[in-house]
Amino acid sequence: MVKIKYLLIGVPIVIIGILAFFYFFPNEEKKVKKQFNLLSEWVSKSPEENAFTMLQKMKNIGTLFDERCQLKAPSQSLSGSYTREEISTYAGSARSHLSQLDLKFYDFHILFPEKEIAKVTLTGRLIGRSSTGEQVDETHELECALKKIENKWHFSQIEVVEVLKK
Amino acid sequence: MAFHNKIRQFFFPSFTPKFLIRVCLVALFAYLFFGYLCIPFTIQGMSMEPTYHNGGINFCWRVRYFFSEPKRYDVVTVRFAGNKVMLLKRVVAQEDELVEFRDGKLFIDGREMEEPYIRLPCDWNLPPRRVEKDCVYVVGDNRSMPIENHHFGQTSKNRIMGVPLW
Repeated sequence: MVKIKYLLIGVPIVIIGILAFFYFFPNEEKKVKKQFNLLSEWVSKSPEENAFTMLQKMKNIGTLFDERCQLKAPSQSLSGSYTREEISTYAGSARSHLSQLDLKFYDFHILFPEKEIAKVTLTGRLIGRSSTGEQVDETHELECALKKIENKWHFSQIEVVEVLKK
Repeated sequence: MAFHNKIRQFFFPSFTPKFLIRVCLVALFAYLFFGYLCIPFTIQGMSMEPTYHNGGINFCWRVRYFFSEPKRYDVVTVRFAGNKVMLLKRVVAQEDELVEFRDGKLFIDGREMEEPYIRLPCDWNLPPRRVEKDCVYVVGDNRSMPIENHHFGQTSKNRIMGVPLW
């Protein structure tokens, strides 16, 4: 009975220790996820957003991308290789048509086929309201590639997966 | 007195090792059951009106397709990258069948189909297309919106997660 008691106290302590280790020492997977969280934060827009915040966010969005990034989103008429500046401008223009925007990512599947490359499959959901008051709700499965440059992960490819083919 | 003790024991149990093991087992079972077999979800959107309403709560019963294939008229959940965000749609055609919409009427292999679940007016026109191997064609029940605004089409059977419990 005493042994079980020790076990019941010991096992949770070990589990908490392991969880704390992973929480306080971020691994590569966490660093990759962080880039998505930043993208989500900077793409999202509140109705009260001022011009200064908007410019700051647009500038920040560009820093998340590689020098050139491949975008494949046929449904959005977006296909080809774009520079950071082009992506920032495109994001800014898309944001200007919306009064409110919320981008969220779910179901991350992260693989590291090579040391400095991460392949991520995930679901992206964009909910917003256009300046004319129309509701926007877009959900897509995305396949992304990120490159590690100077210890930072940068988006080098984003492809929209066709889940429903009309 | 014994009855009162039993009630007290039920609501305020003593933290014996046996009790803690029981709690762990119940938690593990609930995690596996509600995480993998019977996944709770909230319906967001009007694409399945009037069969399923916006804001409704349901469960995705995955066991349904463990030993069988989705059939015509089954309401199914279609996954993106995982099960955090799913689409709720109805299977209208199976592999190798020819799907077509003429003035809002569904035609399969040139034959008009009965769709008693469609209550809202529809004027869709879609040229015929053949469903590919290992795929099904899914559409929502609410076809009152313009065809461009409705998410429907062919999807792989691998993406079908299960059926709503009710």
